[in-house]
Amino acid sequence: MTAASGLAVDNTSKSRDFWAPLLKDAVLAALVAVLLALPLVGLQTYDIGGGALGIRTHFDWVAIAGAAVFGGRIALRMLQQLYRGRPRGRGRILPVLAARGGRPAMPITLAGLVCAAALPFLPFSSRYLIDLGTTVLIYVMLGWGLNVVVGLAGLLDLGYVAFYAVGAYTFALLARDLGFGFWEALPFSGLVAASFGIILGFPVLRLRGDYLAIVTLGFGEIIRVVLLNWASVTGGPNGISDIPRPSFFGLPFARSAPEGGTTFHQFFGVEFSPEHRVVFLYLVILAMALLTNAFTLRIRKLPIGRAWEALREDEVACRALGINPTTIKLSAFAIGAMFGGLAGSFFATRQGFISPESFTFIESATILAIVVLGGMGSQLGVVLAAILLVSLPEFGRAFAEFRMLIFGAAMVGVMVWRPRGLIAHREPTVRLGLQPAAR
Amino acid sequence: MTDAQARVPLLAVERLTMRFGGLVAVDDVSFTAYRDEITAIIGPNGAGKTTVFNCLTGFYRPSGGSLAMHARGEILRLERIEGFRIARRAGISRTFQNIRLFVGMTVLENLIVAQHNPLMTASVFSLAGLLGLPRYRAAERAAVERARHWLDRIGLTDSADWLAAALPYGAQRRLEIARALCTAPALLCLDEPAAGLNPRESAELNDLLLAIRDEERIGILLIEHDMSVVMGISDHVIVLDYGRKIADGTPAEVRADPEVIKAYLGEDEVAEVPEPIAVPPAEAGVQDQPHEPAALGSRFRGNDG
Repeated sequence: MTAASGLAVDNTSKSRDFWAPLLKDAVLAALVAVLLALPLVGLQTYDIGGGALGIRTHFDWVAIAGAAVFGGRIALRMLQQLYRGRPRGRGRILPVLAARGGRPAMPITLAGLVCAAALPFLPFSSRYLIDLGTTVLIYVMLGWGLNVVVGLAGLLDLGYVAFYAVGAYTFALLARDLGFGFWEALPFSGLVAASFGIILGFPVLRLRGDYLAIVTLGFGEIIRVVLLNWASVTGGPNGISDIPRPSFFGLPFARSAPEGGTTFHQFFGVEFSPEHRVVFLYLVILAMALLTNAFTLRIRKLPIGRAWEALREDEVACRALGINPTTIKLSAFAIGAMFGGLAGSFFATRQGFISPESFTFIESATILAIVVLGGMGSQLGVVLAAILLVSLPEFGRAFAEFRMLIFGAAMVGVMVWRPRGLIAHREPTVRLGLQPAAR
Repeated sequence: MTDAQARVPLLAVERLTMRFGGLVAVDDVSFTAYRDEITAIIGPNGAGKTTVFNCLTGFYRPSGGSLAMHARGEILRLERIEGFRIARRAGISRTFQNIRLFVGMTVLENLIVAQHNPLMTASVFSLAGLLGLPRYRAAERAAVERARHWLDRIGLTDSADWLAAALPYGAQRRLEIARALCTAPALLCLDEPAAGLNPRESAELNDLLLAIRDEERIGILLIEHDMSVVMGISDHVIVLDYGRKIADGTPAEVRADPEVIKAYLGEDEVAEVPEPIAVPPAEAGVQDQPHEPAALGSRFRGNDG
């Protein structure tokens, strides 16, 4: 009797355990859907004449969207229940991604890569989308560069945009005064930015944390103010214009070639289209970003990379082990700055015009936010955060003046739910390769 | 223990003085640590023990005196070497009173970072490493093997891929010792290695330290409050009080020294005074004390070993 009632209680509690989180989950999902659907499908503007706009409401569509998501969510859970045998707490995509952080994440990384490379050739891609993709990739590259300094070496840098500016101006000046093209100037941009990284590094060798952040912040401002006021060289607030576009192995992307040269469309015998250059720029920054990533992933597993991380963990212990903190810090600054400079050079050639206005503190803050939001030291996290941070304000244009508000709220939300960033997993640089379970 | 034979000096500290403003933390201290010996520095809190260590390992520049390290046939003056170079050039490595591991990295990575300098040389400023040349790969394999050797020794092989932060306290202490050993030192400086260990763990530590001395032929300089460690394994004990050396000799000599008893028990030499650390008779038989023979024999291997 007692056993039977116990069993019954057990049964109901079991089914409650299954249904309660399921319903809660579905309601939450439906709520999100309704919130999203309200502005997207619930409100429609139309011309009421005289240039004014009226608003039509479609609350029925919103209700349908909510109901569909509610039902779909339950169906999805049931399916998962069927296949997995047990309900899982919540859809934990990010931890799954993170847990597969290293080699096992290959399929995800590969899929992302293919998507990124194929983006300009997809049927729905437009010039706007490719431009947006290019911007995202610039920030991905900057994020990866800053990740070396902040994520690996643990040196909080609030003036990273300075190196971006140095790279951009190096290329612009080389092009204006010496007639360099993008490809010839690229290594110089990297080198000059790296030198500036070392110049910044020396005075801040003894500083850490907050103090370091303040000095780097000042450094970023110094560079900007110098660019603004050294008008005879940098053009001051007017900036530098007519920066050359990159060529495709010497073939320019232009309607007509100057004095007897061949242009890209003539050489390949295709119709001239301004989109060629946009697509080419996209592919160039994609390649540059991927090189940055490959370099960082590789150097992380070398003694210098491990020393960066060790320095982040404990500088005193590093000294006791015979590691020279000076060279380690300076190399982190130099390499981070180099990537910033390369990205800056690309930025200059893409815009064709640069001025100090493009290199304000807000840029530094955005790049740092990408690194922190993505998860310090995580390469994949930087990509996710860059997509989120750069494209969210774009997609949020519909909300006009509320867009920065939504942007800010999203950042706060991420930091509340995932305080260590989107992907907080750290893949060890070396494994003993023991399987404790097998022993 | 090696008293009978000629003792080869490893580190000679002459008239070491360290002042912080008006405070004299170490006052005219001289002592010698010998090759193949365990030298212990003891003394009440604030006696200047850790300051001596910080001078030796380049964290402080001594206000006076000389520190001569006999390394690879030459004599190096430590006070003239830049702090971070001491580990590599003079072969001195150390642990810290409050453990300083790289907690966000794995156990194995901690040991590989300790081999930074030879690996850096092998990677030729990271170039050979970036290209993945065989020379660098071989060096890295050797580094992993050395790390594995010490992991086997301290019984942490199975936790090699864990984050160092995930280890229990006693294991963290052992890992820090292993990390210091991975720099291939001639002299190992341990700052209170037995602090916070239970009696079984400190018995195991004794065993490990004796093995380092006898099998690896690495000299040990030790700061310790745990008298079972100090009296049990030291060949030579130096006692500091208020920055001055008050005794120097074998454990038995030091234990009988009236100056030492006074420093530990107070001026009155009364037995009722609460003893900060029990030195006298109670500790007499420490060496013979049975320390769970199974634990001693296991030499830190994991339970499955």
